[in-house]
Amino acid sequence: MTTYYVDDAGIAKLLGEQCGTSTFAPVRTARLAWLDTVETETDLANLGEPRPAQSPKGLFLPAAESVGRYGQSATAATAARTDMAVIVGIRACGLRALKYLDQVMLEGAFQDAEYRARREGMLLISCDCVDCTDSCFCTLVGGRPYASEGYDINLTPLEHGCVAEAATERGQKLLESAGIQCTQAGKDQLAERDRIRAAMVERLERQNERFNFVADDRSQPGLSNEGDAAWQEFAADCVECGACTNICPTCHCFYLYDQVLGAEAFERVRTWDSCLLSTYHRMAGGVNLKLSARPRLYSRLANRVLHKFTYSPQQYGLLGCVGCGRCVDACLGAIDIREVVQKLQCPAKANPADGREASP
Amino acid sequence: MISEPEGAYLPQPAELLEVIDETPTIKTLVVQPREPLTFKAGQFVQLTLPGFGEAPFTPSSSPLSPERIAITILQTGTVTDRFHECKPGQTLGLRGPFGKGYPIDKLRGKEVLVVGGGVGLAPLRALILALLAELDPIKRLSIKYGSRCVEELLYRREHDTWPQAGKVDFTCTIDHPQQGWRGKTGVVTTLLKGVDIDRDNSHVFVCGPGVMLKFTTFTLIDEGFRPDQIYLSMNRRMSCGMGLCGRCNIGPYYLCKDGPDINYALIEDYPDVF
Repeated sequence: MTTYYVDDAGIAKLLGEQCGTSTFAPVRTARLAWLDTVETETDLANLGEPRPAQSPKGLFLPAAESVGRYGQSATAATAARTDMAVIVGIRACGLRALKYLDQVMLEGAFQDAEYRARREGMLLISCDCVDCTDSCFCTLVGGRPYASEGYDINLTPLEHGCVAEAATERGQKLLESAGIQCTQAGKDQLAERDRIRAAMVERLERQNERFNFVADDRSQPGLSNEGDAAWQEFAADCVECGACTNICPTCHCFYLYDQVLGAEAFERVRTWDSCLLSTYHRMAGGVNLKLSARPRLYSRLANRVLHKFTYSPQQYGLLGCVGCGRCVDACLGAIDIREVVQKLQCPAKANPADGREASP
Repeated sequence: MISEPEGAYLPQPAELLEVIDETPTIKTLVVQPREPLTFKAGQFVQLTLPGFGEAPFTPSSSPLSPERIAITILQTGTVTDRFHECKPGQTLGLRGPFGKGYPIDKLRGKEVLVVGGGVGLAPLRALILALLAELDPIKRLSIKYGSRCVEELLYRREHDTWPQAGKVDFTCTIDHPQQGWRGKTGVVTTLLKGVDIDRDNSHVFVCGPGVMLKFTTFTLIDEGFRPDQIYLSMNRRMSCGMGLCGRCNIGPYYLCKDGPDINYALIEDYPDVF
């Protein structure tokens, strides 16, 4: 597909065309940019902000939703929305998280129909990062602050316009049909894009230089298991709020519960759940006094981090952490997952090459 | 691959045909799913009490009679209390089957040792019945069962019938001596000391409460069994059944799809096994 250059007026028109209740884009508040619906094209001037404060996960896996109704008198639930929507300004880390969720929700023996419908119905206009937060660390986990896959259109903001690259047919069509001036990107513009990207990588590497672990989808540092006392040190600061799992773009654990709609009519609801909570293993009937499978907080914390850095690569061939740093920002106990991995590194358990295990 | 994933989270209706009082704390619910639900021994189903929720159980009946699925339930908490109150004629819900089931294909020419504790004999009964239905491929079947007390011995009426098939033996024990009990006493691991099973040509299947699984495994290892010969029934905390909801992991394995009976060699290094 062609790489275009589109000037500011063209970008405003292109993104303006998308405005409406089905467009999600970073919206500036006093301190942060939030992923929200945008009404006017002026709202779209926030692409230069660091990645949005919350991850795009909720647009594909809502915090709570009905997975269906049952019982003799149950009527069909309203079908999940499948009309087209657009995310503008999703970042490389967000796209990488979607690739991970695709593996979980669509590539196993069962496919999640609701997730698939939302995934197929969402056009993704990604944007290179030209700024980052202190907690951003994509380069530590094999990521880059710009996308190389997973988008329909990717934008790189230059001084007076954007380099726009379409990777899918629907992305290409959108660029062509927007009635905007699209010229093939010139050598200078591509060189400028490379310069911006390299500068951003350098900035991220510099702000993370105190961490010396190397992790990506194919190789992992290897972490000590929960027997290591360092887990207890980190867990001492955990207040079990579950913020890290809620804000994480790849955390996907859920809880199923039933509710009564009427006589012989019932509904099954799925809500986000958090492996950090002591109530995590509760089942029908709610919380009872039985010990959960991991009664100790430090073993729940260890399980979460080990899942990201050790188990996920074995399960899906993908690292479970994309380095967005949102959990670092969200943690009430100021636990920094980079420090956890740094401290728990265990060379003996390192997986230097592709170590995907045979299935049981 | 499920081609029609819609409704994968929803139960299908199942009539409760019969409630059998097994012991003072254990009942068996016999249910008939409206649509045929075939399962392999060791696979589990989610049993729904409509409007209240679901809980995972491995059927205790033979997979050869899928029209009458027996689910044996120990009264142990909120959900199981409610299942114990169910009456024949009620409509329940079923979802599944999930999991891998017992690796019966691997048992050809082998000695099979089955070790059950308490209500843990329930899923093992499905294995026993499946093996009894076709005994030729295996070399022998040895069943060791332990229960808290005489009153809590599960499927007592069947114990004597299993060995009638030949090359099957059954031994049981209760934890403490009791008046009128002339059988063995002590926990089930006492039946495993010097057990007459070929260490080089056997598989062991264990199901019971957590503490029983732990000490049975350690006893088996002490007795010279290798971890890869031992299958543990880690029937706990499965929810979605499809490896999505995340709650049943031991290391990288999801019990709902990689288990619930899982080879001990796969999980022995993970700290949260027992």
